[in-house]
Amino acid sequence: MLTYSPGDSPIHRLDPRSKLCFQFGFAIAALFSSGPRLAALFVVAALAVSVTGLSPLRALWSYRVVLVVLAIAPLIAGFTPGPPWFRLDRAAESLRAVARVVPILLLSAAYIRATPVRETRAAIQRTIPGRAGQLLGTGVALTIRFVPVLREDVREVRDAIAARGGDRRPVHERAGRLVPLSIRRALARSDELAVALEARCFAWNPTLPRLQFSRPDYLVVGAAVVLTVSPLVSG
Amino acid sequence: MASNGTETVELVEKETIRNFSRAVVIAALTAVLAQFSIPLPGGIPFSFQPFGVFFAGLVLGPLWGGCAIALYVLTGVAGAPVFSNATGGLGVIAGPTGGFLLGFVAGAVVIGAVAHRRPSPRPVETLTLPWVLVGLLGGLVPIYVVGVSWLSAVAGLGLPQAATSMAPFFLGDLLKVAISVAVVATHGELLGRV
Repeated sequence: MLTYSPGDSPIHRLDPRSKLCFQFGFAIAALFSSGPRLAALFVVAALAVSVTGLSPLRALWSYRVVLVVLAIAPLIAGFTPGPPWFRLDRAAESLRAVARVVPILLLSAAYIRATPVRETRAAIQRTIPGRAGQLLGTGVALTIRFVPVLREDVREVRDAIAARGGDRRPVHERAGRLVPLSIRRALARSDELAVALEARCFAWNPTLPRLQFSRPDYLVVGAAVVLTVSPLVSG
Repeated sequence: MASNGTETVELVEKETIRNFSRAVVIAALTAVLAQFSIPLPGGIPFSFQPFGVFFAGLVLGPLWGGCAIALYVLTGVAGAPVFSNATGGLGVIAGPTGGFLLGFVAGAVVIGAVAHRRPSPRPVETLTLPWVLVGLLGGLVPIYVVGVSWLSAVAGLGLPQAATSMAPFFLGDLLKVAISVAVVATHGELLGRV
């Protein structure tokens, strides 16, 4: 599983806002690129992943399910319900389209590898203005905190259903038991969370984690702007 | 005198904290349900992820239901492995199924808006089943419109081909709509009482 790994690479040291900005610009450029320009973006993304200490192949392996979907797309695109049954030109067109996603996945892996979630949370809170930014930033941090807790809750519910022979029931009956019991447990957790937030004086103006732009960040943001407008410039 | 920014602490209102806490746990529950699936005959996985979206709208209403699923998507974009098959990152959004994730946010808003017919949520047990059914079916519209269009653009498929490839999943989602309506009918009081 792809997760953050502490390090001291140049990408680790960048501000999360500049990294997010670059990712968006890169994604736009990749989705409108083909041929040598797409190959160049592929190299940039592969280098970025390598700099974070992760091999590009391992990064792609973590996205293997996405890649399988991408690999199936040209087969669906090429299929025709009658002679000649398969059209290579359509499949090739689809292949060119899905190839654009691969460097975006690689760069996304580099971001995950080099950016702790608490920094992304801080970036959200500082970038999205007002109360929405506060709620979304804090919400992301709390959501991550509650995933393992609720995973255990849902497992307990599933095991309890299985212990009563529920796992041999039809799928709609299993879902009809698992879903409401899981939601009920989750809502009970939300009451505990609400009390905890109130007890800690949950405020609209908390002290945010410190973030600071350095010279490389300005260069990265400049590159992001160039990448974002590149499809317009190249027509 | 230097300001330390703590002279005035603006506390969040109690009702907002309650709704925010519910949105957080529903976002986390959607992340957990996204990892649960039952393989059906034919190899199509019966994913539990849509139940998170459906009940975000049904339990929290349009505003906080949309907030819950936006939190879920943002958590994934931040890099946490909360999307299907424990993936995360902006690359998943830019990938072939990214449109469905974005459509989930709009879907939760539509479900909440139709089922509750006001911005603030009503207790689940007071929701009327026909509105719940219409809301859930209406919620599938933005999910599939955004999802299929995105799939078509990213994977280089024609719209009919993209729609056809998603047809088995749509049938599965119709079954999930029926299960959700049954859950509201039989367990509504249980969900509303918490």
